[in-house]
Amino acid sequence: MVKAVKMDENGENYGKGRKAVEVRDITCAYNGHVALKDVSMDVMRGEFVAVMGPNGSGKTTLLRAIAGIVKPVKGEVRVYGSISYMPQKDYVNVNIPMKVWDVVAMSILAKGKKFRWSVKLSEEEKKAVEEALRAVAMFELRNAPFTDLSGGQQQRVLLARSLATKPDILLLDEPFNGVDLPTQEKIINLLSELSNGGITVITVVHNVSPLIHHVSKIALLNKTLIACGKPEEVLTAENTLRAYGVSIPVTVCEEGYPHPLFGDIHG
Amino acid sequence: MLPPFLERALLAVVLISVNASLTGTFTVFRNASFLVAGAAHAALAGAALAIIIEELGFHVPVLFGGLVFAVIASLSAGYAGKGKLNRVEDLNTAIAVSFAFSMSLAVLFISMIREYAARVWGLLIGDLFLLSYSDLKLMFFATLTVILISLLFYRAFMFVSFDPEVALAYGMNVRLYDYLLLSMIAVSVVVIMGGVGAILVFAMFVAPPATAVRFAKSTGFVFAMSFLISLFSGLLGIYLSFQLPFSPGAIAALTASSTYFISAFLKK
Ligand SMILES: Nc1ncnc2c1ncn2[C@@H]1O[C@H](COP(=O)(O)OP(=O)(O)OP(=O)(O)O)[C@@H](O)[C@H]1O
Ligand SMILES: [Mg+2]
Repeated sequence: MVKAVKMDENGENYGKGRKAVEVRDITCAYNGHVALKDVSMDVMRGEFVAVMGPNGSGKTTLLRAIAGIVKPVKGEVRVYGSISYMPQKDYVNVNIPMKVWDVVAMSILAKGKKFRWSVKLSEEEKKAVEEALRAVAMFELRNAPFTDLSGGQQQRVLLARSLATKPDILLLDEPFNGVDLPTQEKIINLLSELSNGGITVITVVHNVSPLIHHVSKIALLNKTLIACGKPEEVLTAENTLRAYGVSIPVTVCEEGYPHPLFGDIHG
Repeated sequence: MLPPFLERALLAVVLISVNASLTGTFTVFRNASFLVAGAAHAALAGAALAIIIEELGFHVPVLFGGLVFAVIASLSAGYAGKGKLNRVEDLNTAIAVSFAFSMSLAVLFISMIREYAARVWGLLIGDLFLLSYSDLKLMFFATLTVILISLLFYRAFMFVSFDPEVALAYGMNVRLYDYLLLSMIAVSVVVIMGGVGAILVFAMFVAPPATAVRFAKSTGFVFAMSFLISLFSGLLGIYLSFQLPFSPGAIAALTASSTYFISAFLKK
């Protein structure tokens, strides 16, 4: 058994065109029940990766392993740079009436292992919170209690929280659930911009179509890695059949990107 | 000049309200309201054991036995309640089991005590007007500790209660903070209970913050409003106990828990 290693320092393997995340042959289990088996994948700096697969296929588990929340029982994860993690919303206690602003600020205050005595944000940190809130179009509601927001709005605040620390690597678990289409598009454009700027984005999605033009790689899971690579290589009839148990038709748009036609299967 | 018993009762009400505001609110945020009753009953087993040890010729303060057991019970519940990785909501089941366990242990220990077991039950029963100076001193120092820990670890307690998984991803020692929070709740519950009785603690620690959360627009509001609700309930209890033949604690507990139900109607 090898423990997951995190490397935070600006080591050799750091810089554009270098690896951001190395997943080496990991197996993850909860109380002996294997959730993810023999997964290996590399993610380079600035890549925009979509993780797909049916419910229970281990998508969240993969993100947790990369974030260091779950220790693989076998294999190793290496991470080069700072991480932000946005959980699926049902993992969050939505009964605490924290203000939106404070929810976003909490990631900045918690960053790093060092205990921080002051809860006051510096001017620079305040700006980071504001930028993050503006990026998800929630700045106007910064003083509203989190508990009063709609599900989609809460989702956006959680996304802002993960953006606020300006991480090198962003791990997002179904960030678009319940988010309206214009906001979703806005966020996708933002993530795309971030990845062009060298930030690595790894996001779990069920519907990849809205971001297919932006992602550089898709990882398709079903308890193990079915395929990982360029969208057109991964989204084949054979792979989707192996992942989902049904073959999902794919149309290729004018620009040459494959769009899976979920929920549009004609008898 | 107020008579000393009244002075002590008033001071106790203020101390209880501080604990209701801090410990109580964190308990409600952590979805662990049941821990208040759980810790209180675990303390019974500890108190009984302390008396058994005393009968063997070693002196152990009864309250100390209660404190140790309450802390152990809440930590075990915290440990067992983490079945589903870092989810916050499974704690109450674990507390219920730990509650049953410590009550059975309490019954077992009490049956082993040769002298009158009322001293054990005495831990559950208290009276605002019968507080001794040393009760009050202990409550005062416990409250001071609660204030200090709450100030120091406010952020950590909030993050760990809000989403432990992300706190872990940011490198926080989630287990440690969670155990600290659960221990603080246990100590605060047992010390106040030793002074004023269990019923008043149950009512004051849970009902005011649970009421406040209903109307809250911020976390600060919950802390402030729980303090005010407990203070009001306590003062009303003392005041009415001079007009009516009821114990001040009972009236205070009734008032505090009524606010919860009244707020439920108001919010509908
Ligand atoms: N905390 C946990 N404790 C025990 N088992 C878990 C836990 N989290 C996930 N599992 C199990 O691991 C497997 C993979 O779960 P995971 O959450 O990674 O799936 P997922 O692909 O994210 O699913 P979804 O699309 O529903 O979010 C499932 O069988 C699930 O039951
Ligand atoms: Mg998931």
